[in-house]
Order: sequence, then C-alpha cells, then structure tokens
Amino acid sequence: MTSTSTIVMPGDRIAAIEELAKSKRVILGPGLRRQDETVVASKAGPLRHKEPSTFWVDNYQRRYIPARGDLVLGIVRSKAGDLYRVDIGAADTASISYLAFESATKKNRPDLNPGDLIYARVLNASADIEPELVCVNSVGKRGKLGLLAEGFFFKCSLNLGRMLLRENCPVLAALTRELPYEIAIGVNGRIWLKAHSLRETIALANAIVALEQAGYTEIDKICDNLGDFLQA
Amino acid sequence: MNLPGKMDVEKDKLRQMHCEFNPLSRCDGSVMYSQGATVVIAAVLGPIEVKTQNLSIDGSYLECNYRPKAGLPQVKERIREAAIRDVLELALLAEAHPRSKMSVQVQELEDRGSVDACAVNSACLAMLIGGLPLKCSFAAVHCIINEQGEYLLDPDQSETLHQRASFTFAFDSVEGNLLLVQTKGAFKIAQFNDIECLCRAASAEIFQFYRSQIAKYHGRSEAIADQKEEPSSMET
Repeated sequence: MTSTSTIVMPGDRIAAIEELAKSKRVILGPGLRRQDETVVASKAGPLRHKEPSTFWVDNYQRRYIPARGDLVLGIVRSKAGDLYRVDIGAADTASISYLAFESATKKNRPDLNPGDLIYARVLNASADIEPELVCVNSVGKRGKLGLLAEGFFFKCSLNLGRMLLRENCPVLAALTRELPYEIAIGVNGRIWLKAHSLRETIALANAIVALEQAGYTEIDKICDNLGDFLQA
Repeated sequence: MNLPGKMDVEKDKLRQMHCEFNPLSRCDGSVMYSQGATVVIAAVLGPIEVKTQNLSIDGSYLECNYRPKAGLPQVKERIREAAIRDVLELALLAEAHPRSKMSVQVQELEDRGSVDACAVNSACLAMLIGGLPLKCSFAAVHCIINEQGEYLLDPDQSETLHQRASFTFAFDSVEGNLLLVQTKGAFKIAQFNDIECLCRAASAEIFQFYRSQIAKYHGRSEAIADQKEEPSSMET
C-alpha cells in the first residue's frame, strides 16, 4: 500500500483501473462500480490497491453491510419458532437457526435468550435477502463462535474494527504487554472485551475507543497511558 | 466551534466554509457545517429498516427532515425538505440497498443567509462521511441581485434585506448539470443566465472543499496504515 493514496469522490472516473482492465482481470471492491466500460467511485475516501489487481475505496463507515463469510457480533433480539432473530447492525435483523450450533439437535436446543451476545459467521447475505448467520464451521465444530458470556460490549466504526483485525496489529500486541484480556472483534464495528477485573476491562475499552478519536497516530502514547487509566 | 465574525468577503466570492465531521455519536454519519455565520448540523442514518408502506424492491427510500432553530417545523421547512430531498434523490445510488431507508436530518443552528444552500451542502457532506453510495456529489450556491443591481454571491443576511431577486442553484460534480433551481423576486433571463454561470463557477470551489475535507479526515488515519507497513519509520 502506498502512503499517499489518492482521495476519490463519488462520480470520479478512475482511468488507471480502466487501463489495467484492458489487459488483466480486475477486482472492484466496495466503493467502486462498473458503468459499461468505465469504473466510477460511489464513495468518498482513499483508493486502496492490493496486488495483483484488487481495488477498493476505504471510506469511513459505521453502518455494516452484511457480506458472506464475515465474522460478526450479534445481539439476540427474540426467538421466532425455529430461529433466533439477531441484531448485527445492518438494515435487516439477521436470523440464525437453532440447529446452527455445535451439537444442537431438535431435542437439544442451544440455551440463548434475548440480550445474549453471540459471535457468528454470516452464511448468506446479499442486498435482497435477510442475512443468515451460523455459529459452526463447515465441519460442524464451533471453533471461536458461539455465545460470549460476561465481558463488556461496545461499538466502533467499521474502519477501526478492520484495522484491529489486521495481522500484526500493533495495538492488540501493545495492549497484551500491559494486561491479559480476551477480545472478540466483529467486522460489523462491534467489539467485546473481557479482562480480569471491571476496571481493567473499562480501561482497555477506553483505550480502543480513544484510537478512533485520536486518529491512530498515538498508539504508543495510549498504551503508556493505560497505566494511568488503571490508576484512576 | 468558534463562529466566524462578519468578514469582508468580495461580492463574487463564497463566505468561508468550515466543517467538522461526526460531532454526533449515534448516527451513521454527521457533519457540522458552516458558510460564514450560517451553521447547520446534518446527520444520515442508513441503510436502516423501512416501514412497509415505503418499502420498495427497486431501491432505498429517502427520507429528509429539516428542523428550524426555534419552533416547530412549518410549511416553510417542508418546502426546504422537499427541495433537499429532490437533490439527494438525484445523487443517491438507491439501487444499491433495496428494501431499506436512508434518513437525512438537517438541523439549523444559525441562519445568517443562504441557509437553503448551506442545508444542501451539509446533507452532501453528511452522506459522504456516512458512506452512503452516491452517483455524484452535489453543491448548492445562493446568489442575490441587490438594490443596485449587483450580483452578490453567498450573501450574509444583512445584505439580503433589500434584495431584488434571490437564486439558489445546485450542481452535480460529474457533469455540472443543474439539479435544483429556486428563484424569488423579479429578474431578466439574461441576469438568470449570468448568475447561473457565476454560481456554477463557485460550485467548483465547494467541490474542492469537500475533497480537501475528506482528505484531511482520512489523513489522520493514513499514519497508522504507514505504521503497520514500517513500524520503525518516522511518524508522518
């Protein structure tokens, strides 16, 4: 990734991608759309490029748009017959079948109540259908998915969530040096945290939320200040 | 946010624009935007759940609300809402999110002239930062003909006291098409054409402002992208 990405605005034609598309197969990610032979941006933000030929617009967003395969945090809203209705922060509430949990059978239903927090994978999602979630992987094992008990839940922007989910994110490593904790990050801009005590949990949550406000340039400062949060 | 005092701006220049992104925490995108001393806050929510009566399988439903600084919304505010909604509908890529609603809320904080144009511009900025899919961005410019017959671009409220005619134009960013025309008062067609050209030229400045504000907003987060690639490099 280049350090100075060009900012594109909606309606901008991206000639560079059109040029590339003449010789190679180009993948247009979120924020870009194809209009006949032209490539036009539909969102405002820096244009990102991943080798060999994937382009997208990295715009600021808080509202989650469901996509297949995403790992999301959802809050169970209600039970409706054979499924649970889960709020994942999208336009529609998602549904999750009670059989989509490890070792769940018709007789052995999972113990989920409205208000519970679950970490699930999006099975099916598109603009025209309601998203569907599962809490098992393709071989029927739960892995890291399922109910998240206790801990603290808060929301952030999608950009912050994605940044934390990157490999080698310096933030999480820096926080681990300070104190042990458990974290679940959903790509839908929701984070769940659990540390040994309430004070530590809130301190960590404040540190992560501060990143969003501070503009990400002060990771080290925030991690040093974590000590102050704990003293307070 | 400090309100700028009445500065001496030439009559064919826009007043100073200022914007602050995301002052509100509960919506999907918001902006506090000012042109001179006129200030508005705009917020967007979307795509969100829509009532069955407004549900459309072809695209999203666009709702627009404008609230005055004092008192309940009256017919005057409904006219503003309709004007803003018409412009937004042309720019929004509704097909991207069928069966949903995009809600745009504009709150007037201070009306010191050209508040229609200000409201439209703030709605555009809110949609840009809220991540709504758009076909283009748009900008509105307000211009008046004063008693002496001069054209005053983006007038302050004190300058509009004895205006002969008032014009609000909105343009799109891609081809410069006219999206909105609101006129009041008596004028000749030649004057209308001149003012349209003047406003179109001014709208380029507004589009540049949008671009620079978005760039500045993302400039904060560029540093972390760099830090991830080269953790040992100097901070930008």
